[in-house]
Amino acid sequence: MTFLQPYLLWALPLVLVPVIIHLINRLRHKPQPWAAMMFLLQATRASTSHAKLRQWLVLLFRTLAVLALILFIARPLAGGWLGWTLSPAPDVIIIVLDRSASMESRLAGQTITKREQAVKLLAEAAREFQDKSHLVLLDSATRIPQQLASAKSLLEPTLTGPTDTAADLPTLLQIAHNWLVENRAGAAELWVASDLQRSNWLPDDERWKTVTNQLGKLPQGIRVRLLAFDDDREPNTSATLAEVFRRARPDGAELNLALDLARNVQPGSAPAHFPLSLTLNGVKSQTELDMDGAALRWRHKVDLGAAKGLGWGTLALPADANARDNAAYFVFGSDSILRAAVVSDQPALIRNAQLAALSPATRQPAEVLAPVAWAERTGSDAALLIWQAPLPDAAGEKRLRGFIEEGGAVLFLPPGRTDTGKFLGFGWAEAQPASADKPFKVAKWGQQEGPLAKTDEGLSLPLVELEISRRQPITDGDEGKRQMAKGESAEAGEAAKTSPALIASSGTALASFADGSPLLTRRALGKGQFFFCATLPHEEWSSLGDGPVLVPMLQRLLQTGARRLNQETMVACGELSALDRAKQWTSADGSTGKDIALHAGVYRSGERLLAVNRPGAEDDRTLLEPAGAKKLLGTLPLQLLQERTARSDALQGEIWRLFLIGMLAFLFLEAWLVLPPKKRLPDGSAPELAPAA
Amino acid sequence: MNATDSHVHSFLDPQVLAQLAHLPLVSRFAMEGSVSGHHKSPHRGSSVEFAEYRTYVPGDDLRRLDWRVLGRTDRYYMKEFEADTNLRCCLILDASASMNFAGKTGPSKFAFARQLAGTLAYLAVQQGDAAGLYCVGENSTPELPPRRNPAHLQEILNALQTLEPHGPTTILRTLHDLAEKIRRRALVIVFSDFFCELEPLLGCLQHLRFQKHDLAVFHLLDRMEMEFKFDRPLRFEDLESPFSLVTEPAMVRDEYLRAFDAHRARLRQACLEFNADYREVVTDQEPGKVLADFLTERAHQVGAH
Repeated sequence: MTFLQPYLLWALPLVLVPVIIHLINRLRHKPQPWAAMMFLLQATRASTSHAKLRQWLVLLFRTLAVLALILFIARPLAGGWLGWTLSPAPDVIIIVLDRSASMESRLAGQTITKREQAVKLLAEAAREFQDKSHLVLLDSATRIPQQLASAKSLLEPTLTGPTDTAADLPTLLQIAHNWLVENRAGAAELWVASDLQRSNWLPDDERWKTVTNQLGKLPQGIRVRLLAFDDDREPNTSATLAEVFRRARPDGAELNLALDLARNVQPGSAPAHFPLSLTLNGVKSQTELDMDGAALRWRHKVDLGAAKGLGWGTLALPADANARDNAAYFVFGSDSILRAAVVSDQPALIRNAQLAALSPATRQPAEVLAPVAWAERTGSDAALLIWQAPLPDAAGEKRLRGFIEEGGAVLFLPPGRTDTGKFLGFGWAEAQPASADKPFKVAKWGQQEGPLAKTDEGLSLPLVELEISRRQPITDGDEGKRQMAKGESAEAGEAAKTSPALIASSGTALASFADGSPLLTRRALGKGQFFFCATLPHEEWSSLGDGPVLVPMLQRLLQTGARRLNQETMVACGELSALDRAKQWTSADGSTGKDIALHAGVYRSGERLLAVNRPGAEDDRTLLEPAGAKKLLGTLPLQLLQERTARSDALQGEIWRLFLIGMLAFLFLEAWLVLPPKKRLPDGSAPELAPAA
Repeated sequence: MNATDSHVHSFLDPQVLAQLAHLPLVSRFAMEGSVSGHHKSPHRGSSVEFAEYRTYVPGDDLRRLDWRVLGRTDRYYMKEFEADTNLRCCLILDASASMNFAGKTGPSKFAFARQLAGTLAYLAVQQGDAAGLYCVGENSTPELPPRRNPAHLQEILNALQTLEPHGPTTILRTLHDLAEKIRRRALVIVFSDFFCELEPLLGCLQHLRFQKHDLAVFHLLDRMEMEFKFDRPLRFEDLESPFSLVTEPAMVRDEYLRAFDAHRARLRQACLEFNADYREVVTDQEPGKVLADFLTERAHQVGAH
């Protein structure tokens, strides 16, 4: 229970007034000399238990009446969320509102969304405090603390409206902490409203410890109230764009789309059938879609004809429980000339790769450069670099890193000899030949995405047919160093260095051999990626050079590296670069009221088109358990309310009426008890006044 | 008793005395007095009232032999007459502190009892009987055995005048003592509120009756005690001890009256059973009327015998 006038609680000792009056009255009773005491004692003994009980009850009711009066004047607030603490209204209430796309899910059985309900409840709760406390809104989309004039401001859509962004709770708490420190706020409460989505709370994040420690150490005392909407029962389907690229064809161009659909249904439920609308450059068309199971990758090709230049489009599902995750926006550009470059000091070994990495536009094979030549060349228009040489020195590494960070792709192939160099911790072990009758085989590889994914027709690349007679395992130097630091023996460290199985901790193994060591690993760096492949496309090494695997792999790597040449066309909502944010953007589909920082859509700024989609993590509906959220907040005092219904008074309300009624009831009972029992005078006469002493 | 005396003894009301002057104080049973008087004696004597004939037994006084019968029948018969004796009236007055209670309707119980006792003593001596005074009290209570001379009456009245009720009641012990002390049959009149344990008290009264005394009991009560009408909580202070009790009269009234009435009824019933003359006296009554009723009823009872 919280009080709006807590200082009135100092009047609580007044509840003793009836007791004191009672004691004084006892002293003030008129004395009456009495002779027939024996009968009086006898009578008192007979009726004493009843009389005493009555007297105690009278005293109790008087005391309770005074107590109820004081509490009534102190204007108590109570509710499931605010709890029954006797703390006064805090100096500052920071309302941390999760405005992520997932908060747009409808509440089970309701027509309003989680965010709307959260805003409504918070505004209701904050109304009682608006005169006493500073209200500060910190929403997950803008991440800027804003002071609110009144609780009503919370209902303004510009402050708390829907967005397509993701939320980052540790960051928000850090911002809240910084704000509290900078503004030298007094006792503060954090009112957090969230759906406990795991990707927003990031429970494995190291920052949690820091931020909860910092908040806990604030001298003014921080209390956290968490309004959790951890209920996700409404059926919902979300759409995410997995791939979009324009492919040149002899007769024009086609647009390849891959849309990932996910729905939160139980396995084995009935297949869904729904229309999917595709808008291309403002022209709308519709297709029907059948979905069986929980996830589907829907591929689609659109003939662009001879159309050139930039274009944009939208894929949209019909409205369901969450209206924000039904649309995916994309922008496709004109064909850029993708080229690959091969850096090798043994061009004969790499001939097959050079051919396979031909430019799709010019049909020219990749250019081959010696490492020295590459080092001397200034600038490169290549999207993919195939590095089959000893790993570069510091200057070369810096250059390579720059290339990757710009968006380029680099594929490292074994140098074929001992190489002690490292690239970002990766290196080469000694080459290993396979026994003559038993070549190395690929056991598993990532078929969903990446360079070894299935083809558009759904066919797997024939990696299983690869016969690898020689390989040079990939090592991860960082892992080796970590092992050393743990105090293990140098031999163990050496073993770890040579053990390819340990690579997965820092890079992602896209394909692995039967013994677990990786064939192909990937690691992201800046906008680009680099890959290590453990064998060469040469007959002395493997059958990789035959083509069915190498060609799609290198072509896809070329597409990956195309980002280096193209301006960015797709961005996750809320992750717009500062440069882009400064520009003036208008919605490409002509709709108004959209903000590129908050809402998904296609935006135009001059000649440039940008598709903004909600972050992919928002579609991962894994929720954190409330207990998990409690654990994350550590020792901070936490009041949790799991909101599953749309009751508006669930958080709190003024309950002075209760105390007023209580006081009246106590006074009535007291009056009833002290009424003289008239019926005991059988002659009906009123009792005489006591004689004067 | 002259006017001066009644002025000295404020509790004696000349009007009451005058009103009662023609009423005799009689005993209901034979008394054993020391001199001849108006009252029946258990012994045969020389009055004019014939009692009985009886056969002569050697040793009898020949003077009372009925010579006429002897001459006519030649048999020896003794002719006996009733003896008349005086009355010894023992007044026992409760002087415990509880008797000091005075309601708003009359004098204190003690004052009332003192008037009754003084008037009766006066009447007794006036008709030639002996009067004595015993008090039930804690300390220095006078013991004046019955005598018939006016000087003794003066002493009694003086003692009554100076007596102040004080301390707890010792009525039980005193009555037992007096039952033993008053040897010969007498008229024993007890004035008290009898606020004590009832069963031992009845034992005392029976003891007195056992000694063949004519026992009269004046049960003095105040109207306030009988009705117990109060409307607000009061602190009741015991007159005989420092004990006090705060209570709400309205709540205990029923119980109080039940206990009080039971006490009265039981005492009345017991007195009836062992033939004691029970009189319940409320202090707002007229003392003259109370005594007139007492004397008249006794006279009637004796007449009925």
